[in-house]
Amino acid sequence: MDKSEQTQQQQQQQQHVMGVAAGASQMAYSSHYPTASMVASGTPAVTAPSPTQAPAAFSSSAHQLAYQQAQHFHHQQQQHQQQQLQMFWSNQMQEIEQTIDFKNHSLPLARIKKIMKADEDVRMISAEAPVIFAKACEMFILELTLRSWIHTEENKRRTLQKNDIAAAISRNDVFDFLVDIIPRDELKEEGLGITKATIPLVGSPADMPYYYVPPQHPVVGPPGMIMGKPIGAEQATLYSTQQPRPPVAFMPWPHTQPLQQQPPQHQQTDS
Amino acid sequence: MEDESHNNTLPNGFNTGSPESPFLKTSTTTTQHNKEQDRFLPIANVGRIMKKVIPPNGKISKDAKETVQECVSEFISFVTGEASDKCQREKRKTINGDDVIWAITTLGFEDYVEPLKTYLQKYKEIEGEKLSIPKQMRSEQRLQQHHNNYHDQNNQPFNGAYASSNLISQPPYVPTDQKFSLTFSPNSIQSQLRQQDQIDSVGHWYE
Repeated sequence: MDKSEQTQQQQQQQQHVMGVAAGASQMAYSSHYPTASMVASGTPAVTAPSPTQAPAAFSSSAHQLAYQQAQHFHHQQQQHQQQQLQMFWSNQMQEIEQTIDFKNHSLPLARIKKIMKADEDVRMISAEAPVIFAKACEMFILELTLRSWIHTEENKRRTLQKNDIAAAISRNDVFDFLVDIIPRDELKEEGLGITKATIPLVGSPADMPYYYVPPQHPVVGPPGMIMGKPIGAEQATLYSTQQPRPPVAFMPWPHTQPLQQQPPQHQQTDS
Repeated sequence: MEDESHNNTLPNGFNTGSPESPFLKTSTTTTQHNKEQDRFLPIANVGRIMKKVIPPNGKISKDAKETVQECVSEFISFVTGEASDKCQREKRKTINGDDVIWAITTLGFEDYVEPLKTYLQKYKEIEGEKLSIPKQMRSEQRLQQHHNNYHDQNNQPFNGAYASSNLISQPPYVPTDQKFSLTFSPNSIQSQLRQQDQIDSVGHWYE
């Protein structure tokens, strides 16, 4: 835990020093924590030298204060999320250790098998595969819901909505394969929300949650993306956060994932 | 409330479709309905699982549940595709539990791996013990669990007779026959695919 915090602080400091360049390089790796840190450190650096891009110019003192508050909030948020997820996985392990009956699944095996069979390349499926899938899907639903609920809480709501799921998907690389399921307007709404939230950031610390919700905020950084069409910007953001180049075929992409996932896992292991 | 209404819709839709149209005369509406239902896991199951990780006073909108339904199906297809590719590379025909876990590892869900390995190990242990139980008892329990009888009788005339013979006589004439009814998914609409499945299953069990 301490090591993880130190690592994160070091990363944030480095990115703060390097400014936009650090943000650009970090985007290539596209891991969750560096991306979030890049958002924190990159935006102030960009808006300060280019007042015309932001409706309100930031003074140096307000800039520094906002940055410190943002850093504090971000740290708190990360800690909270990590605790929730750790508790979640600990509970999963306990639950599995206590499992005796493999007949009462939370999900129907026949339906799982049918979904598997939808793939024409799939020939035969052993009896154990749907059983494993039932457990894997349960964990998938739980993790996705937990990460979505974090977004619900950040927006001071008590009802989990579709855009919360969209946020969870956009924040985590392992969910990249789901981007096609979320309509563009869900992602676009977030972008608009952030744009609005960015303006009053100096005035009200309470707006910070909105400020840090989407990793898509980096769109503001590179001038080229600003000049482009909104749809183009979204696509560029998705590609830049997903992987260095757009996926040409389905096959190459899965091989990229493990490499990208290595750093975050290492951090988690240290903590 | 929404969950209850949704639950009511499922059995009603299913009951309405089955008696009105036998398999040979299946209408387009029924076909589409079946396909839509089969593409996703039941929304009630999904909603129930989702509620486990949100606070008691939290709520889940219906469109959120539906979105997660789609996400889970995508997850299954995603992992299955990866596992299937591995089997083909290794010249194997059957996807097993280890292949699923391998695919999940490859696709970045490292946190799932240890729990699933433990789960698979326990499953194999318990299933190993259960193999000593008479196949008849095990088959009957599984049939009840998955409601295959109901599907057989209403949707598949060919398999209906097959299933009814199972119901009439408790001791199975041929042990492998019952395994077919367990292995199959009775709702498959394309008879050709179904025949292929049967052939594959024969090969699988004989191997």
